[in-house]
Amino acid sequence: MSVMTPIFEGLWEHYIFWSVLVGGFAFGWLYHHSFWFTSKDGDKLPNVDEIEIGVFPKHNDDMRLEVAWTILPFILIVWLTYYSWQPLDAMWTSTDGGAHGYECDYDDPGYTGSNNVMHSDGIITSDCYHVIEITGQQWFWSFDCLELERSLCDTGTETMEVYGSVPVLALQKGETYLAVMESVDVTHSPWFQHLGTKEDVLPGQQTTLWLPVFDSMTEESMVLCAEYCGDAHSVMAAKLVVHN
Amino acid sequence: MPTRSWLQSWLCITEVKRLVTKRSKAAIFTLVIVAAMLALPSAQSLPGGISGVQQSGCNCHGAVPSESVSASIEGLPESYNYSEVYELTVSFQGGPSQEGNINQGGFHLWASEGALSVNDATAQVYNENEVGHTDAGNDQVSWSVTWTAPATDKNVDFVLHVNSVNGNADGAGGGTSGDMWNKVVITLGGPIEVLEAANPFVVLGVLIIVSASLLAITLAYVFYRKDPEAFEWDNFAPWLADWLTSTDHKKIGTLYFVAGLFFLGVGGIMAMIIRIQLAVPGNDFLTQEQYNQFFTLHGTTMIFLAAMPMINGFANWMIPLQLGAADLALPRINAMSFWLQPFAALLIFTGVFSGHGADTGWTGYAPYVVSEGAHYGTTMWAAGQIMLVASSTLTGINFLTTMAVMRAPGMGWMQMPLFSWSILVANVMLFLSIPAFGVGLIQVYLDRVVGTAFYDIAAGGDPLLWSHLFWYFGHPEVYVVIVPSFGIISEVIATSSRRSVFGYRSMVYALAGIGIVAFIVYGHHMFTSGMSPTLRFVTMLTTMLVAVPTGIKIFNWLMTMHGGSLVYRTHTLWALGFLVTFTLGGISGMFFPSIAMDTHLHESYFVVAHFHYVLVGGTVFGFFAGIYYWWPKATGKMLSEKLGVLHFLTAFVSYNALFWPMHRLGVWGMTRRHHTYFVTTEEALGSLPMEAAGWNMFITVSGFLFFFSNFIMVFNMIVSSVRGEDAPDDPWGGWSFEWMTTSPPPAHTLYRLDDGSWGLPTLKDANEHIANEPGLLSSWFQRLMVSDDEIEEASH
Amino acid sequence: MSGDHHPSAWGPHDWRHGAPHNSWSPFILSLGVAIFLFTLAGAFKFGEFQGWGSVPLIFVGLGVIGFSLLVWWRQDMSFGVDGEVFEPKSAGAPFQNIDIRKVAMWMFLMSEMMVFTSLFSTYMRYRFGIPNCQTVFESGEWVEGTSVTCFEPAGHLIASSWFHIAPGAINTFALIISSFTIVQALRYAKKKDMDEDVRRRKVTRYLGTTWLLAILFLTLKMIEWFVGFPLPEFLHEFNHGDSSIKSLYAEGYLINADSYQHHAYDTHYIEAHPDDYSIPEDSALYAMMQAGTHPGGHMMANIQVSATTFYVTTGTHGAHVLGGIVGLTYMTLKAARGGYTPDNAVSIEYFGLYWHFVDLVWVLVFPFFYLY
Repeated sequence: MSVMTPIFEGLWEHYIFWSVLVGGFAFGWLYHHSFWFTSKDGDKLPNVDEIEIGVFPKHNDDMRLEVAWTILPFILIVWLTYYSWQPLDAMWTSTDGGAHGYECDYDDPGYTGSNNVMHSDGIITSDCYHVIEITGQQWFWSFDCLELERSLCDTGTETMEVYGSVPVLALQKGETYLAVMESVDVTHSPWFQHLGTKEDVLPGQQTTLWLPVFDSMTEESMVLCAEYCGDAHSVMAAKLVVHN
Repeated sequence: MPTRSWLQSWLCITEVKRLVTKRSKAAIFTLVIVAAMLALPSAQSLPGGISGVQQSGCNCHGAVPSESVSASIEGLPESYNYSEVYELTVSFQGGPSQEGNINQGGFHLWASEGALSVNDATAQVYNENEVGHTDAGNDQVSWSVTWTAPATDKNVDFVLHVNSVNGNADGAGGGTSGDMWNKVVITLGGPIEVLEAANPFVVLGVLIIVSASLLAITLAYVFYRKDPEAFEWDNFAPWLADWLTSTDHKKIGTLYFVAGLFFLGVGGIMAMIIRIQLAVPGNDFLTQEQYNQFFTLHGTTMIFLAAMPMINGFANWMIPLQLGAADLALPRINAMSFWLQPFAALLIFTGVFSGHGADTGWTGYAPYVVSEGAHYGTTMWAAGQIMLVASSTLTGINFLTTMAVMRAPGMGWMQMPLFSWSILVANVMLFLSIPAFGVGLIQVYLDRVVGTAFYDIAAGGDPLLWSHLFWYFGHPEVYVVIVPSFGIISEVIATSSRRSVFGYRSMVYALAGIGIVAFIVYGHHMFTSGMSPTLRFVTMLTTMLVAVPTGIKIFNWLMTMHGGSLVYRTHTLWALGFLVTFTLGGISGMFFPSIAMDTHLHESYFVVAHFHYVLVGGTVFGFFAGIYYWWPKATGKMLSEKLGVLHFLTAFVSYNALFWPMHRLGVWGMTRRHHTYFVTTEEALGSLPMEAAGWNMFITVSGFLFFFSNFIMVFNMIVSSVRGEDAPDDPWGGWSFEWMTTSPPPAHTLYRLDDGSWGLPTLKDANEHIANEPGLLSSWFQRLMVSDDEIEEASH
Repeated sequence: MSGDHHPSAWGPHDWRHGAPHNSWSPFILSLGVAIFLFTLAGAFKFGEFQGWGSVPLIFVGLGVIGFSLLVWWRQDMSFGVDGEVFEPKSAGAPFQNIDIRKVAMWMFLMSEMMVFTSLFSTYMRYRFGIPNCQTVFESGEWVEGTSVTCFEPAGHLIASSWFHIAPGAINTFALIISSFTIVQALRYAKKKDMDEDVRRRKVTRYLGTTWLLAILFLTLKMIEWFVGFPLPEFLHEFNHGDSSIKSLYAEGYLINADSYQHHAYDTHYIEAHPDDYSIPEDSALYAMMQAGTHPGGHMMANIQVSATTFYVTTGTHGAHVLGGIVGLTYMTLKAARGGYTPDNAVSIEYFGLYWHFVDLVWVLVFPFFYLY
């Protein structure tokens, strides 16, 4: 069972690569120095910098080194920023002709669904998207498929062994949905675990969240509340079912 | 629920088990616990909790229980025998039930232990803890069921709900009008009596009271040690009053330490209770409501009542000494900063004693924080923190003034020891950011008390406004608690390596850089908050920048060791440990500004792992290094190196075992602030893979090891105070002024000068540039300053 | 060593000793603040009065705070009375020879600035984020009898009449004048070639005037918020024909005003008083009224947020004035005892810094909350 989306996995592996590199460098250095430049107490200690009590010691610096480890990390973070940038365009894409096109026109004779495509970097684009509504309330989720066909979007409830009765949202693979969300009382946040995404649901304000359901998703996954909302926050769960 | 009882008995710190076997030895300890529990009646009057176990399955008719219905269980023994089978008769009397009703009533019975089963078709089994009536059995007033007692010593709770109905079931409104219900709770013991299953609040309350009593006893003992001859009230009262009224920076520093370490312990106990709850999936050791209060108070306690006082403890002790000053600029304000804190702590903890502690998380997001659903302890949580804000503001003013005006002659800004620099940067950040938090808290307090409408959604209130005010403070705040540790580590690594710190100037610029960046990155806490994408993108860029100054610091520390001769002492070990854990925490921090990853990681255990890596592995490890480093100076006694190394080894290993696996749990999808979690099994879908359960147990065990390993340090301190060796003035070979005075320093600090006399020192400079020559900026600034003497001249 | 010197933690200090002086004041003050915050929350919950039980305790809390201030002052009274002055000066660059207390005061004002910045940010967020009541009214998108959420600036009420604005305007001048009188007090306190008794009287008089102006400020504020005032008959015609100025309280401009009504939002009233009010001809409401489809007579508004920001921001400023009054009371009494000499006159200067700051904040509060 993979909880990671391809987009997350791609970034994750890239970051792990650099983390191992930077960490390895720093720890290698640390281990070397902490075993190489040591002395037991009582040895004749070389007082390289003539440290003396009440005297500000001699500067021990090297401009080239200091500039080097200002510039090199800077270049690295510029690269990481650039690398993290691209998925943002897809995540916050416009609802008008962005990566997911326009809202589907079901009367159009050429309409064949979202037909979303996953690109090699995990970014998903679609022909058009469907709109659904999510409402958060202490302490349950309500899904509304609006006027979508039941094959595209369906809701229901199910009694789960551990969570008790939870709402179920059934979506179709290969389709892209735009969730328009609002809260009735306090702030909530649906975490679509296997879509790797969440967004706060605010009272009095609308927020939106893209749900591009891709083909390789696990059939059943959980939706949890990720923004603390009071007593029964931890069991404010829902189930996401995706089907062909 | 076998885990429940196991953990509950474990919670009584295994003393309960020992009591059963070694009753005589543990009797005194038990008496203490029982007496403390009796002394805490208010903590007993708690809500039943909403765990749902007792209530689920009972769709009781009507809102409130009715006195006129009385329920009973017959056939229960006084105390059960192991595994014996008991036939029970459940019945009720009273209420609207009458002869000839279609529906006379129903029942639902829950037993915490053992197994329930049914005898006929009038009742059904939900699971082995729960039985209820069937459709066939809902026209009766009594039913019979079977209960098999558990095979070990348990306290068994029975909760029976009954409905008494008037028979209008097919009438309007679902037929529940006029119906009545009631419940009865029966507790039963085994052959050997077991203590009541502990209420976690009682445990916390007891632990707090026991620790406070220990504190009082310690105080009395410390006084006794001071002069055993004069151990009487007439001497004790003025001695105590002197501590309560002192404006001496050293005494106040000590008070800060005592308070900080005490609350570090309290916060640690809460963390342990949280970990017991999370040890296994689906645990019900704590109810959700209790868990919510525990994590809220854990966060608030650790940040505001443990970390901040410890920083102030270090700063109070060391800043005047490092600057070569006699005291702080405003001693009485300093005393005020301190005394606001214990009273604030009392307010914050009022909720615990009433059972309705704040349950908002330390972030206290609006509008939940001002909703009536949040416990009313939240009001006092806000009130206490308002006092802490006042305290921090006064501290900031005091230390900035001190550092601006009381540096010894010869000590320019760029000759200040790095620890002083770190406190300067921390206080600039603090006192420019905390007023925003203070105003936010006052808004919350007013909303909750006098009914203003700052966060009233119906009136147009904006939940994001609180988030902005909070994180405008909250992000600088987390740097405020880490930056002083940077200072300590800089001192410790340089002194231990017998070198001057590498790149002093770039260290200072990096600190200042962190101080500036702190104010423009806070939006990264709000990447999924509905804030505008433009702002999110900007803070993504700025957050990435944080890596640059922290990177400079880490590389400078590493380079300081180069060519030096590292002496391994306890504080050196902690500093090297800090370098490991803080680097790891820094690297994991770089995952968050990548927003496409953050949308998955936000509010997950990956975040928990990250900030514990920087706050425990960074801040607390830095504190430990500082404690081992400056303890001889402050007390005049050496700490045991052996115990110190033991503390480091156990704590460092268990610490990493505790927090490292949390990264993986977070990626798997474990959510923060959830009182429990469920793993996916072959039968049922949960939110986490199976392995998560094992790792959580591992974390809990490591957590306990980490918790207890820190008592080695406390023990070390006690041993050192009682029979430690006397400390020399400069045991480690540092250069700054604090090593120029005696250990411990006199009340009104005097320094040993070159000519052997005592007085206030002047700093010399080993570098070739002319000491005391102000830099470009400084000389420009000086032109703005008209000395007060000159003003007086002019007015003559 | 001077550390052996232990003066009473209650009583006057001998400031010639540099040793740390003990004081009960911080401990007691903290206790008082805790009692106050605790009992205030016991008396009200979400604006609901919870009974008189904890009301006396609120005053106990305030009393404890006041007592701690008295202890503080008692310890300060010795400050320079006998010609001995303890005024520590700065050692290090760049503040060489500047009084430490002056630096501390500037630091304090910097953090105060952040307090008001935060309050103003809150105000800005709501002022520009919530539609203005006038705009909503003119859009016609409301239904009589149902409350609409909108922002009603206090200025809309206050600036509607010259007499309504009078208390605020007088207060502005009062504060500006008081900034002048405090400087005068400082000037005379510093003057060396002056008879001691004359100086004592001058300083006392100027400090006393400052005190009176501050009291006037708060009094007028209370009148404006809670009392209102009648107008002589010849002024009625300049006040839309009304015989009195109602207090904001009487106008219903309250933190719990979820169904606020004002005659400026009443189409019937506007039609009856064409001289005072008019609806712009290019507004949707005007068109609706012409077509007879307007949503009824009187718009009802939820203005809780507007009133909250108004009362809390101006109230915080008022609290600062109150703090100033407490300080001025002490200083005036001290001056009357001849406590200020050229040697320690700087105390007045440092209070003056604070007082100018409070004045300056008012200069911002006044246009934002009263005029605009």
